[in-house]
Amino acid sequence: MLEPVRLALVVAAKDIRAELRSKTALLSALVFAALVLVIFNFARDPTALAATDLAPSALWVTFAFAAMVAMNRAFTVEREHGALDALLLAPVPRGALFWGKLLANLAFVAAVEAVALPLFVLFFNVDLGGALPGIIGTAALATVGFVAVGTIFGAMAVRTRFAELMLPVLLLPFMVPPLVGAVQVTARLLAARPLSEMLGWLRLLALYDVVFLTLCTLAFRAVVDE
Amino acid sequence: MTSSLEHQAASHAPLSLDAARRVIRRGFAITAIALLGVAATYVVAIGFTPVEAHQGLAQKIFYVHVPAAWGALMAFSLVGIVSALYLWLADPRLDLFAAASAEVGVAFSAVMLTTGPIWAKPIWGTWWTWDARLTLTLFLFFLFVGYLALRAALHDPQERARFSAVVGIMGLLLVPFIHLSVYLFRTLHPQPVVLKPSAPSLPWEMLRTLLFSTAAFTLLYVGFVTVRYGLALAAEAKALRDAG
Amino acid sequence: MPAEPPANGGYLVAAYIVAAVILLGYALSLWRRARRML
Repeated sequence: MLEPVRLALVVAAKDIRAELRSKTALLSALVFAALVLVIFNFARDPTALAATDLAPSALWVTFAFAAMVAMNRAFTVEREHGALDALLLAPVPRGALFWGKLLANLAFVAAVEAVALPLFVLFFNVDLGGALPGIIGTAALATVGFVAVGTIFGAMAVRTRFAELMLPVLLLPFMVPPLVGAVQVTARLLAARPLSEMLGWLRLLALYDVVFLTLCTLAFRAVVDE
Repeated sequence: MTSSLEHQAASHAPLSLDAARRVIRRGFAITAIALLGVAATYVVAIGFTPVEAHQGLAQKIFYVHVPAAWGALMAFSLVGIVSALYLWLADPRLDLFAAASAEVGVAFSAVMLTTGPIWAKPIWGTWWTWDARLTLTLFLFFLFVGYLALRAALHDPQERARFSAVVGIMGLLLVPFIHLSVYLFRTLHPQPVVLKPSAPSLPWEMLRTLLFSTAAFTLLYVGFVTVRYGLALAAEAKALRDAG
Repeated sequence: MPAEPPANGGYLVAAYIVAAVILLGYALSLWRRARRML
């Protein structure tokens, strides 16, 4: 296996193991997800707004905020344990380091999404039909995009005093294209619309991922090196 | 606190408070002329430009809103481009310029964000629409604010310069995606329009006023950025002098 | 016979004033910072 790839996986595994031991990020994200889903349901007037109209937005708000919680905690935990400095002393290529952190963050967020999605189907009485593979695929596409940006911004935010505030402030504009695209595609999938209506959005998601994955990989060096 | 320029002093021209003063003075001169230009724009727009028959007087907000939008977009593009140059060339003056452009951009964005809804209400019937212009306005504003917030929260000058450069570049690359999102959204969700907004081909009297206004706002951008950059240079020169 | 344009001059005045306040306000803040620094 290519050395950088192996290093990335090592970094990812280390982070995931650390998180599984303490579980704080995962748990807070899951609690948040459940909370959002419950509130969205109670706040809705069932006669005025059908569940299926609200469902895609509710789902993605949940995913987005849970992802931010997870990403923030991931870097804060590392700062508290000083592990990042030790890692930087080793000759790990910075691109590999970024991908390791990215994969770990993706694992956390995917775990939260995997729990939130069934809850969402349950609370909103959504009829998935044949839409599940499409929803999972869309979720993957969109999540990769904003988690990539969140990973690099998390690395920056952690150096500031109000890291929990700085990450959302920086990340918000960057979450909009993937989120809007994801909601639009999810809504159409649930309504069993033809693929042609979603292609534009799917291309947007894919292009966003390509551009920002590349950019963040290259830029990570500027963030972690002196 | 060490000055960022101490580290680079060997490889770049020595910095003096006098040089910074000259920059600031020149900046204020340009700003003064530009502000007069903007005032002249007001006069020309109100007194010497025809009123649009369907939209009425409110259409003239266009002559302020559009050049402000141009200014904000220019400010933002320069933040992105100069940030990329900074990461490549590591000249801290580039970082100071980017910061100056961002601050001026906030001012222009504020003009956009206030005049936009005031224009939208009589023309479109609603204070806000998610059309391309207003949406981009909002996002530029958030990006500027994020950039400046990050700078304010970082105290090591090297770190601050590097981190904000990354945010600047990423922000610039985000703009086409915002455009694309709005475009996709609009083609699938056409908004009901109360009045048709300005047609793409403007009569000469209106185009002339718009060009004049754009020139004035562009000059204002140059003036503001020059002063702000000069202030940053002065601050660095003082820090160097006090430390040395 | 073309209709009268709508009477929305108030919006024009409001927008022009707000824009002027923001731009002059920023210019003033730059001026004050320059005075304090130099």
